[in-house]
Amino acid sequence: MSVKIEVIEGGIPHQKIMIGGLVSTLVCLYLTYLNVLTNTEMFAFFGGLAMITALIWGSHTIKVLCSYGIGTGVPSAGMIAFGSGVIAMLLATKFGMAAPIVALVLAAVIGFILGYISNNILNMKIPAMVQALTEMAVVGALSLMGFAALITGGFTFAGLTTGEVSMLGMTVSSNQISFIGGGLIAVAFLLGAIAIQHPFNACLGPGWKQDRMLMLTAECGFLSMIVAAFMSFALISAGSAIISLIIAILGWAYTYNQYICLSKRDAAAWLDAKPIPDMEGL
Amino acid sequence: MEQIVFGIGITALTGALATIAGSAEDTESNIGSQGDPNSQVQLAPQMGFVHRIFNKAIAGEPPAYGLWCALGAGLAWAFMAMQINAVLAIVLGCVLAVLVQGVYATTAYLGRTASLAKFGQPVYVDILKSMTSVTMAHAFIAIFCTVTLCHLINGALGHPFPLPLLGLIWGIALGAAGSATGNPYYGKERQYQNQKFGAGVPISASGNIVRYAEAGERNSLDNGWFTAKIGGSASGVCFGLIVFLEIWRTILFEKISAGWGAIIVGILMILIFTVIDRYIEVWARKNYGPYTEAKVAS
Repeated sequence: MSVKIEVIEGGIPHQKIMIGGLVSTLVCLYLTYLNVLTNTEMFAFFGGLAMITALIWGSHTIKVLCSYGIGTGVPSAGMIAFGSGVIAMLLATKFGMAAPIVALVLAAVIGFILGYISNNILNMKIPAMVQALTEMAVVGALSLMGFAALITGGFTFAGLTTGEVSMLGMTVSSNQISFIGGGLIAVAFLLGAIAIQHPFNACLGPGWKQDRMLMLTAECGFLSMIVAAFMSFALISAGSAIISLIIAILGWAYTYNQYICLSKRDAAAWLDAKPIPDMEGL
Repeated sequence: MEQIVFGIGITALTGALATIAGSAEDTESNIGSQGDPNSQVQLAPQMGFVHRIFNKAIAGEPPAYGLWCALGAGLAWAFMAMQINAVLAIVLGCVLAVLVQGVYATTAYLGRTASLAKFGQPVYVDILKSMTSVTMAHAFIAIFCTVTLCHLINGALGHPFPLPLLGLIWGIALGAAGSATGNPYYGKERQYQNQKFGAGVPISASGNIVRYAEAGERNSLDNGWFTAKIGGSASGVCFGLIVFLEIWRTILFEKISAGWGAIIVGILMILIFTVIDRYIEVWARKNYGPYTEAKVAS
């Protein structure tokens, strides 16, 4: 039914990226509990790092899935990853300490069901579909959790739905100023969904290289972290937000620079204000 | 009565903002060859037609603009929550959203072009520098107008959704309007000016996009200049009408039978537009293009 049009040549095998991504994401998510232990919000940036490692794993999953002509375009894969992940993530926030693990299991179940429906009921018959959709739902759930931790300092349901407004010197609790009530979850959704699909969408073609694509994923992740850190100024203390912002800017500058170097390495030529070169046989 | 007059005033203002946003959005996406004309720009080097056209593929326009507008609105919301003045908050939010857009545009061009190395397509640094800044300028206008109209809907008309969510919804609508209305003009007419008018794109001509200008070689700024005149304004009118009619029917008819009035008027408008669209399509087919002749010949 579908033809595999590209193969992965060289580079790190997908299993390794998957295991590495999963472990480091969970470790980073649990490191945000340092906030609870030390009673600060200084460790919110670990949420951002969790989001970036999850995205690196997810973008490689998209590469595996979209090597088959799935017929819906690469961006749709990012949308379904976060669309299925957001359900698991929201439900898991009710479980306190176990939230990342619950999100992982729930997302895997949702992704597996979606994969089964697309392959067996919609008859898409793509070999990698079930595994890829399962992985991507997990990636979506964990990176949304990372965004939540980065912006609000934690991921308990109460913390995500209530905030504090200071009005005329009084502090009032409000549902409006919060991650979910303020609609920031919609921004996090699209930041992640575009960042996860963009690397493969931008690097696809006969000259695809794994290191270049994964470097681009890290760049997209840090870029999303910069703007998410700006939004976190509204919900966590300014000092903690500045720490996240500095880490994000440093990481972004390094990965962007590296990505340009890798593109220079792979490009046919690097020309400035030159005409179209004469091609042989034309 | 005063409430309705105030509502109609806000409706007119949002409609005007939406028209500017739609027009800027379409010009931006055409300079970046985003959306459906992108496939031909991507294909051209593989068919031997190396070009100097900007190729910035960041998803389709609806998700991309969903992100830019939601991001602008989210940042504006955060700045307003920090007690910053609304006008300043919206401008700052949109500036940051545009920076994200610009970075995505450069990485998309570099990635796509580097992956086409096998076919000899070079990376043009001058294209990267000049086109990215122009798309960023157009994107700023589009995002700023959209976030402002969302703020008006939320603040002045009292819509219950928070600003970022409205940004997401209207951003996707903006991208969809530009993608559906403006892109065919660039993709079918501008890229294939060397083909018979209205003939579509025959397979033999795939990838043979117009690469040379009246003098010298064409780049995407020429495409933006070309499509800004008709494609851009058509997209602007499209998005402006969507926003205007949507809010207009809500303001005037929401009170009738607990909200059902607005829904019924909405359905009526869809029916009226379907009839108008069908009439224009038949009229255009009759007057332009080779469609009828081909049918008679067979």
